[in-house]
Amino acid sequence: MKVLTVDDAVFIRVTLREMLERHGYEVVGEASNGIEGVKKYNELKPDLVTMDITMPEMDGIAALRKIKQINPQAKVIMISAMGQEKSVKESILAGACGFILKPFNEEQVIRGLSKFKS
Amino acid sequence: MVSEYSQVSGPGLFVFETNQLLDKLELLILGSEKNGGLQASMDEVFRIMHTIKGSAAMMAFQNISLVAHSVEDVFYFLRENRQTTVDDSKLTDLVLSVVDFIKGEIAKLETGKSLTGDASGLTNAIQAFLAEIKTLDPVLAGLPLKSDYEVMRQSFIEACRIEGEEGQTICEAVVFFDDDCGMENLRALTVLSELGTYAQKLEYAPGDIVENDATADLIRYEGFRIWFTTTASMTALHDFFAQVMFLKEYSLMAIDHSDASKPRIPRCIDLDGPLVTASESAGQPADATGDSEQSLAAKQSFISVNVAKMDTLMDLVGELVIAEAMVTQNPELQDLNLDKFFKAARQLRKITGELQDVVMSIRMVPLAATFHKMTRIVRDMARNLDKQVELEIVGEQTEVDKNIIENIADPLMHLIRNAVDHGIEPVDVRAAKGKPLTGKVRLEAKNSGGDVWIIVQDDGGGLNREKILQKARERGLLDQDDSGLTDKQVYAFILKPGFSTKECVTEYSGRGVGMDVVAKNIAAIGGAISVDSAEGVGTTMSIRIPLTLAIIDGMTVKVGDSVYTVPTIAIKESFRLREQNLITDPDNREMIMIRGQCYPVLRLHERFKIKTAVADLYEGIMLMVELEGKSACLLVDALLGQQQVVVKALPGYIKKMQGIAGCTLLGDGSVSLILDVDGLIQT
Repeated sequence: MKVLTVDDAVFIRVTLREMLERHGYEVVGEASNGIEGVKKYNELKPDLVTMDITMPEMDGIAALRKIKQINPQAKVIMISAMGQEKSVKESILAGACGFILKPFNEEQVIRGLSKFKS
Repeated sequence: MVSEYSQVSGPGLFVFETNQLLDKLELLILGSEKNGGLQASMDEVFRIMHTIKGSAAMMAFQNISLVAHSVEDVFYFLRENRQTTVDDSKLTDLVLSVVDFIKGEIAKLETGKSLTGDASGLTNAIQAFLAEIKTLDPVLAGLPLKSDYEVMRQSFIEACRIEGEEGQTICEAVVFFDDDCGMENLRALTVLSELGTYAQKLEYAPGDIVENDATADLIRYEGFRIWFTTTASMTALHDFFAQVMFLKEYSLMAIDHSDASKPRIPRCIDLDGPLVTASESAGQPADATGDSEQSLAAKQSFISVNVAKMDTLMDLVGELVIAEAMVTQNPELQDLNLDKFFKAARQLRKITGELQDVVMSIRMVPLAATFHKMTRIVRDMARNLDKQVELEIVGEQTEVDKNIIENIADPLMHLIRNAVDHGIEPVDVRAAKGKPLTGKVRLEAKNSGGDVWIIVQDDGGGLNREKILQKARERGLLDQDDSGLTDKQVYAFILKPGFSTKECVTEYSGRGVGMDVVAKNIAAIGGAISVDSAEGVGTTMSIRIPLTLAIIDGMTVKVGDSVYTVPTIAIKESFRLREQNLITDPDNREMIMIRGQCYPVLRLHERFKIKTAVADLYEGIMLMVELEGKSACLLVDALLGQQQVVVKALPGYIKKMQGIAGCTLLGDGSVSLILDVDGLIQT
């Protein structure tokens, strides 16, 4: 299963990569902002995208909308923090297929993503 | 795909990234303070704090996470409300103290200590500030609901009034989510929005999941109920629910038509949770991609490389260059007709030369980060000393070797402190003198030849020649008529140990670290400092530093069978001794008199106990060396040439000895010791 992680924090990206790769996901790309995320989505056509909401250049919700335009079936999981209810709502309405709350642990991430593993 | 950060472990990466973010934040805050307000950079500050909060929470550093969260809240509020009546300077102070706190905690982490800092006071102060600005806001409540949600909700409600049509099944589903997933109401919203592709009509309870975040608790305990009409098969629906994230359990069944059409059971929500209204404006504000933001983004593109690896690479390339010379200029090749070989050799030399340049450039770091630290120092000092000072930074992109950056920060900070503390006058004094009220400190860097100049210039009171001369006389530094001294010579006295003309000691300067230490630190990296000043107009400190410590200009000299390298920077002149110049002092020590000055003679072959045919002072060559005001004449057999050499530390098994700074490989592969002129003169 090919995953693209989009997050402006290197730390989160590395943590996610380590978690995912331990469980047989293939992290095919990383992006540090929305613009890059959309570009990499186009290039890599991942099965799943994890998308941070608060990012420079282009935020996660805008990137989600663009990705959904490219592929309405795209599976995008938002990574959000507690207290971001408003942004989470917006992203769900924009077509996010789920969200993971920070701080997360490995078990939670894998449990959440396991639903998409076919 | 290998991660470029694979060398950095979890906490290390956290430290590295957070430090970068903090530096950026500090720059941003100070920059926006100068440009009149935080408004422009609010999004950026919010994002940085948000990122730090998230990462810190992941690392379970609660204190950092909480304090970052409180700042994030403030900026979230400001961002959403675009309030202009905020006390910027108070906010700046709060954010800077948060930056300091987090930096302190990160520093503890770096040194392996546990994080003990208590941020509750700071957090409270920030929360109080937020409460304060909230009361200032005239339109905090009563903004219209976000239309998207409204529309979606209404469409759901309207849908339920219509009954199932021909060929449609009416289903009821009850969904429970995992206990620890959080925001259950929004997870339910996810289910609804995804289910939309299967269902024609939807009804659900609780019905206010979008507006009321307190419904999360209700869903957690009682589950989320959905009624819908669909044409999809049960298998497809089961597949759908199986794919819902964090779904603990669900029940799905087809129900009777009449059941679905009965009025919706109103669910009573007796929770005391706050009713969150979506008062915020729609969408994220578009990023104002101003020039400053772009330059920040450009600064951000770093990768981290272990410095030890860089050093090894530098070392290896240095050896490669020499090995190349050993091969292509091998004496055994002489007189051979090897056209093809020499053609290939030229290619090799070109590439090794380019490689050396590239490796050198990798080690080069712009002075920007070091310079911008000074902004903070100037700001804090000016506030505390009640002065008005503006720091102008010029040429921050000038690059020098990383080692030099590390060594230049402290002396530079000292000079800046001096400039603000002793140089720039208080506002009233400046007013009386008719100067602009805001003092100016200019920090400039520029390339000049193989050196970098860093200039610290202030438009303050300047140095007092008489005061310095008087102090010099007291200290016995003047033994001759001092009227002929140039201003530069006089000002150079302030670089001498224990020399301070400032009587009062303030918090910032005069902590026992004098200009002599600054001069010494700069000399230690092969640089030099000079002072220029005009009383009443200002002072200029010029520092000249080499681009790198790894390569020096050296004069190779021969003593017996050995070849030594003398750093060219220390050499004043070389000459052959004439009879009239040699004198001996009463202790029978040899001295050379040049232009009225006496220089002691140091015979290198004696110093290093080397047998040589050239023991006579008149036969050899004299090298006059000077460092930090001390001079000597070295006797060597002959000068061999001048070249750039790659400095290598002496291997560990050789005892460190005074007078030797390191070693280098020469073009023919032989080893040459590099003289430590300072150490030689001391003995």
